Amino acid sequence: MASLVSSRVFRPAGDTRQLLIKWIVALLVPLVVFTFVWSGEAIVNNVLLGLLAPASASLTPATSVLAGIFILIFYATILALTGYLVAADSGRRGTVELWIDILVFALVPLLLIMTTGLVIGLAASVLVWVVFFYVRNRIRKARGYKPLRPTEALTVVTAEQKEAFMQRALAGGFWFGAIFALISLVVDLIFYFSGQLPDVLLIWAIARTILLPIAGYFLGRLGGVIALRHVLSAANGANEESAESGIEKKKQLEVLSSTRAREEAKDLVPNDLPLRSSGAQRFYLTLLTAFILFYPILDPFLFGSGTGGRLAGYTDAGYYVILALGLNIVVGFAGLLDLGYVAFFAIGSYTWSIVGSTQLATVTGITLSPAAASWLFWPMLLVTALVAALFGVLLGAPTLRLRGDYLAIVTLGFGEIVPVVFLELDKYTNGANGIVGVQSPALNLDFLRGVPGLSGLAGLHVEWSNFTPIPYYYLIVALIVLVIFANLRLRDSRIGRAWIAIREDEIAAASSGVNLVNTKLFAFAAGAFFSGIAGAYHAAKLGQVSPDAFSFGDSVIYLAMVVIGGIGSIPGVIVGAFAVYAINQLILAQLDTLASDPNNVLHSIFVAITQVVPGFTFGNIRNLVFGAILVAVMIFRPEGFLPSSRRRRELHHTAADGVEVSSLDVVPGAPGFEEEVRVE
Amino acid sequence: MVYGIVELINFAHGDIFMIGSLIAIVFLNMLGITGAAPLGGFTLVWVMIATCLITMLLCAVLGVVIERVAYRPLRNAPRLAPLISAIGVSLILEDVGKLWKGVTNVSFPQIFPQITYNIGSVNISSVNILVIVVTIVLMAALHWFVSSTRIGRAMRAVAQDRDAAALMGVNVDRIISITFFIGAALAGAAGFIYGLQYGSTIFSLGFQIGLIAFTAAVLGGIGNIVGAMLGGVLIGLIEAFATLIPDTVLPHGGAPWHNAVIFAILILILIFRPSGLLGQQTPEKV
Repeated sequence: MASLVSSRVFRPAGDTRQLLIKWIVALLVPLVVFTFVWSGEAIVNNVLLGLLAPASASLTPATSVLAGIFILIFYATILALTGYLVAADSGRRGTVELWIDILVFALVPLLLIMTTGLVIGLAASVLVWVVFFYVRNRIRKARGYKPLRPTEALTVVTAEQKEAFMQRALAGGFWFGAIFALISLVVDLIFYFSGQLPDVLLIWAIARTILLPIAGYFLGRLGGVIALRHVLSAANGANEESAESGIEKKKQLEVLSSTRAREEAKDLVPNDLPLRSSGAQRFYLTLLTAFILFYPILDPFLFGSGTGGRLAGYTDAGYYVILALGLNIVVGFAGLLDLGYVAFFAIGSYTWSIVGSTQLATVTGITLSPAAASWLFWPMLLVTALVAALFGVLLGAPTLRLRGDYLAIVTLGFGEIVPVVFLELDKYTNGANGIVGVQSPALNLDFLRGVPGLSGLAGLHVEWSNFTPIPYYYLIVALIVLVIFANLRLRDSRIGRAWIAIREDEIAAASSGVNLVNTKLFAFAAGAFFSGIAGAYHAAKLGQVSPDAFSFGDSVIYLAMVVIGGIGSIPGVIVGAFAVYAINQLILAQLDTLASDPNNVLHSIFVAITQVVPGFTFGNIRNLVFGAILVAVMIFRPEGFLPSSRRRRELHHTAADGVEVSSLDVVPGAPGFEEEVRVE
Repeated sequence: MVYGIVELINFAHGDIFMIGSLIAIVFLNMLGITGAAPLGGFTLVWVMIATCLITMLLCAVLGVVIERVAYRPLRNAPRLAPLISAIGVSLILEDVGKLWKGVTNVSFPQIFPQITYNIGSVNISSVNILVIVVTIVLMAALHWFVSSTRIGRAMRAVAQDRDAAALMGVNVDRIISITFFIGAALAGAAGFIYGLQYGSTIFSLGFQIGLIAFTAAVLGGIGNIVGAMLGGVLIGLIEAFATLIPDTVLPHGGAPWHNAVIFAILILILIFRPSGLLGQQTPEKV
């Protein structure tokens, strides 16, 4: 068994203890904060009470089971993650440094519960992070800190060394589980003797103390297996050939320029930044998926009462995400500035509104029963998207030959026209009053009524209304997942590469055989398609639609989402959508509420401002805020906050990579260096 | 002009125009002129010139500040970056206008006497004549400046080839600043004249005017001054004729549809002449 690993990095097993201390402390801090300071313990206790003593439980059985599943997934993932991290760490990065980082990040839940508002808490955490990173960079600069040099050489890992990795993973999982179990036991005993813990739960506390280390052992093993998969393995078998191909892999890495090599080396085990390796990302993804799926159940534990309103807010943020992802195709991938994106959203909203309400009878004379109409939502979701895509093509075909900025003007004009058309075509759209009574989607078994043997199932249905946003939550989550999947596939497909080629250099792309018109048209159509989906969802959720909800300001907000997050970066755009939603709907509104409260600090500032500017409210300066954000992002961080790696390289290629020395690159001055740099 | 030199659509231009009209109002109010009573004789000339100059100066300073803050750092960035930054500036100015003078129409002091002259069957008011005179004067001054002064020559050089101009000893940054200075001053003057003619102004004016102006530029032919003027005239005519469309063709008649009609015609023209009416299909430089 032979695989590649950097020789200077790998250390004998004597360092295992140091690694264990490093990672166990690092991960215990956030876990203990979550469990004992925030809500973890409350969830566990409620679940256990629900299962062990149903009479005294505050949760319904179903909720107990679901929350229990989440808690299991959560702790199991953390245990396996510990195993993975201990095995995957190269030990080159300082322990204290990591601990400080983790401590700062563990502040988030504390800030979330300490401040009154969820949004204010998040804003405070972001502030803490910004200050922290700023101070850290200043200190590093002052002390002449140099980032770790990339690994110097690659050698072949023996089976023994692999075995050593595995041992570390096992030890990591086991000791993490054991220490956490011990801490929990002590805390539980304190609670028990002060009379706050029911007797039933003491059994659990003891069982946990035994079970956790065992679970840790096996889950650590799982983490180790995942880590070993990322050891640059040469091939199967331990024969001479595999060692040969291992060398080949090494040569491949050497050929890559420094940035690419650094990105590729993220997956190497051992690794300088195991928290950012793609192996660790699997664990994050598991956690995130579990969190999103179980969120409606967890929300009351995490943030207290008011779940319904919060969920409704998140579902609204959800269609922002879809819109941002759609616009990202046009602006981010293909590099065409579309300032009238709201038009497609409006078309999507109206398409479903006309079909899904009594307006259908007015327009076409066909009368549908509400039940049938609401079933139509599912096929209409696709039809709506296709209609929007059609309009994307209709707008795109004549205008795509225009140069970038003029294209922006024409799309802007289109965005202005579409609401006017909907306003004035009142025969079909009911004009300024908009369309009300738009059906929500149907998901029920009512049609089984009367079917012999199955009519008992007919009562099962999902309640869709604004007061019970949970179905909408899952609907939008499913839609977002679909859209993200489609986006990823599109980005990596032939057409996605063609888009990026056009963005980089239109003439070069055309010379390489990219059909400019068709490719751009497809970008427009794809962007419009997703916005059509968002539109149909929005109309169904709101139950109404009116022409004044689609203005140029909205188009700019969608653009801001793409720009803030990072043009062309899918995760960036998602974060950008949430950030913009938070600023737009929550922070400005919350600031206004705080400012009108005479006891608040903000109140005096607010009064001072209103004396200078009479009509001032925070909601009033929405456009100003977004304008300032757009300018600031463009000047200080044009690649956005979570840039795609390709985009970052584009924007910083000379400064960051050009002359960096690394073993994986060619040394400056050596023959071939010029070509090497130019590859970027 | 700004476009010719920096190759950037200045979305904020319309908003500088709007701010200009607001500055003129505020300055007139500071002079104690608020009512609708027209002034006469020497006072009128004095007030007009002072207001116009102050407006132009302040707008010019605003233009230079915008250039310094929002555009200069992005001079070598990809095309999309300054464009997005320009949209941001436009939004900021629009909201500043909104906070400053509210969301409703602001009435402009009618300082110029309204006299209507009849020439045959055509009625023409004194304000119209003023508008035409001021426009001609400013255009002549601009033409003289660009074609006959040293700075004007430097501007043309920068517009033609920035790098070559820099090699010839032209301070490109300074020239671009001056361009923004003049462009914004002209926008300020236009804002003042607009206020005189229409008697009111509103915060969203800049956006509407800017949209129409850029549409005219696309319609007439990109980068073609005659084409832009033709586009402007055409849009005016389309707008006027669109109101004549009867109810039977479009619901509620043509008036609310005029923007839609303009854009429909624009898109139709672009299908057949992708570079606008008078534009030439220029091969792109590699």
